[in-house]
Amino acid sequence: MKTINYVLTGLGGQGILFMTKILATAALNKGYNILGAETHGMAQRGGSVVSHLRIGDARSSLIRAGAADFLLSMDESEAYRYLPYLKKGGKLFVNAPFDAFPDKRVAEWLEKNSIEPRAMEASKKAMELGAPRSTNLAMVAFYSAFGYGPLSTDDLRATVDDMSPGQFKETNLRIFDVCYETGRSMV
Amino acid sequence: MKQEFLLGNGAMALGILEAGCQIMTSYPGTPSSEILPEVVRFSKAFNLNTSIEWSINEKVAFDNAFAASISGKRACCCMKMVGLNVAADSFMSAAYIGNIGGLVIISCDDPGPHSSQTEQDSRLMARLGKVPVLDPANPEEAREMIKTAFDLSEEFQVPVMVRPAIRVCHARQNVKYDVLENNLTKADFKREPTRWASTPKFRFLQHKALNKKHIKISEKFNTLKPFNMHTLEKQKHYPFGVVTGGVPSSVVQDMFEEYGRNDIPILKLGAPYPFPEKLADEFMDACDKVLVIEETDTLIEYLLRDKRKTLGRLSGHVPMEGELVPEKIEGVLNKTLSDCELSPLSDHDCGQEAFSLVGGLELPIRKPTLCSGCPHRASFYSIRKALPKALFPSDIGCYTLGSNLGVVDTVLDMGAGITMASGFWNAYIQDDVQKPIVATMGDSTFFHSGTTALINAVYNDSRFILVILDNHITAMTGMQPSITQGDRVDGRKGNAIALETIVKGCGIDYLKVIDPFDTKNMIQTVKDAAKYVNDPEGGIAVIISRHPCVIGFKDTAIPEKIKVKITDECNECGFCHLRFECPSMYSDKETGKTEINEVLCAECGVCLQICPQNAIEKA
Repeated sequence: MKTINYVLTGLGGQGILFMTKILATAALNKGYNILGAETHGMAQRGGSVVSHLRIGDARSSLIRAGAADFLLSMDESEAYRYLPYLKKGGKLFVNAPFDAFPDKRVAEWLEKNSIEPRAMEASKKAMELGAPRSTNLAMVAFYSAFGYGPLSTDDLRATVDDMSPGQFKETNLRIFDVCYETGRSMV
Repeated sequence: MKQEFLLGNGAMALGILEAGCQIMTSYPGTPSSEILPEVVRFSKAFNLNTSIEWSINEKVAFDNAFAASISGKRACCCMKMVGLNVAADSFMSAAYIGNIGGLVIISCDDPGPHSSQTEQDSRLMARLGKVPVLDPANPEEAREMIKTAFDLSEEFQVPVMVRPAIRVCHARQNVKYDVLENNLTKADFKREPTRWASTPKFRFLQHKALNKKHIKISEKFNTLKPFNMHTLEKQKHYPFGVVTGGVPSSVVQDMFEEYGRNDIPILKLGAPYPFPEKLADEFMDACDKVLVIEETDTLIEYLLRDKRKTLGRLSGHVPMEGELVPEKIEGVLNKTLSDCELSPLSDHDCGQEAFSLVGGLELPIRKPTLCSGCPHRASFYSIRKALPKALFPSDIGCYTLGSNLGVVDTVLDMGAGITMASGFWNAYIQDDVQKPIVATMGDSTFFHSGTTALINAVYNDSRFILVILDNHITAMTGMQPSITQGDRVDGRKGNAIALETIVKGCGIDYLKVIDPFDTKNMIQTVKDAAKYVNDPEGGIAVIISRHPCVIGFKDTAIPEKIKVKITDECNECGFCHLRFECPSMYSDKETGKTEINEVLCAECGVCLQICPQNAIEKA
């Protein structure tokens, strides 16, 4: 299989590592090899956080600019910051208001590179459903609705089910389902 | 067989235990910090009796491991690369003396730098110390290399370094592993003073013996597959080849595969020193030009004999500083291939257009900042309030971020908060100027290298205030336990040592212990200390500013939570979020009003004491 590259971004405290683990575990369960790179230390103190995840038989952990298949961002500004990593025709998923994204200055570049942006207010949805810290899995569900890549919605939902601690399981799965439906309505 | 999505540092921990390492020592530092806790985790999971310690500093860690190794046991010590500077004296001496049980030093590099004061290349330290070095490309290779390193170290009786860069340490990979077993070797030190306590005459002989070992190891490295290998086809001549190793070698191999460039041969040197001369000569003979892509400095490039054929940093083709991220490597290869009149890998601009578009968006600059409720913030506020005109030498830890609050003037290295203070004092007092100086240093750093500095300053009658920021933990590197708490890394109880005892033992007569959350008291304490410092009969004043880290002691650090609100008295001066830099305060973009982010707020209540308008009150 050709290596599939995910760049996941957001701010310190939003749970990028957990988001990476959901995707990685789902991939592992399907028998794929995985390699990833994450941010530690200084940059975590309120800074911008980025995680690279490669599904397939890669040797190097970093995704180069212009080579990411998918960019999932939990923050609008961070989505812009890591745009250069998306390849031509790559897919962009952002936690941002649907009608206010993207910035006009970026729209032209996205179009030129055949990148169709998809936005959903994931943090707002997670908050409404009672778990603001589950924005990360809201984004995973939203992404899964479009059916891209080697991981299906069922794979990802089952992984969220497995990985959510008992008292959060029900809420997390509800957030997953709601955000999946939001994504479906945009397909 | 189990499988885990392991951090590179975890994969290395597995390699360490699979090699039968019995003694493991370290001092934390990014990107090395998770290795030792992972050794603890795997040791517990398999009931191993590995002896594991967070040492007080890297030199101590090294010496402890070395003694175990010359008692016949396999020992490993790991650190970040600047930590190896602290252990350098031992490191160089140990190479001459040699060892019995395998001795492996893992020195983790930070090209970028992401979280360090330099971008130094540990492979060059290995060259300086005449220590063989292995340079892994990814977690799985690091794990294998560690096992090879132990074997080499025992076969040649020389310490061996493994140098993982940050993209190995903080990469994650699926790693399979089996049951781990105890190594039952018993300690058995055999007296041999001419070796273990050798005088300069014997040192000369040891040096000679070391050089002989190097010739043999270099021969071994010629065929050390898969770490060292080339992709030349027999009898074929090439206009261009790439010599690489470590993390960049994995990037180059992935990229050549992706672009189908099997016309360019690769010489991979995962074991670059002692240099595998024969393997390198074969490669150089078969290529008209070679490009060296290595991280972070120029070890291979220096060691390659024919400089006329060699392109790299010295020829200006590879950047001299910064991490060699993949898009940079693609750019370097495209340009070099074009220079050699060969077709480039791609016509990509390596993200340049997009990066410049993003650069023009004026995205928020997210500089690292102290956490919400961090006691260091309160300390820095009070210090500045008490003595705004003082000089502020500081040190390495979370509290380096005090620079944002204007209370960190210098950061040199671990321990320099105190040595810079005494140095500044000496420089000014020579001109009869009694410069007010307030040094800051964390509790862990004070133990690491503050005590010698403080004793020196007392002895030589320097005058300054030292504030020890005691949060009971080594926070920046991931919450390692502090000596003051007596908790050891494997859960056993150690013997706690009080900071007060050490400070007094250093010859300090003036010592105050305060809680920084009471800023009024701390401001007065700093002012009183300044009087003592200036008194002819006075001396160095030490204040222990004690409050547990709000992350490390989440449940107990703030026993009395105080919810706050902003009143109409607020004139939007921005002091609370711009100067005091509380991450829970912000100016609302739409209303322009100062607001509190209740999700982030730690409810420490310190802001009640700092608002210039008194516009924050209990909610």
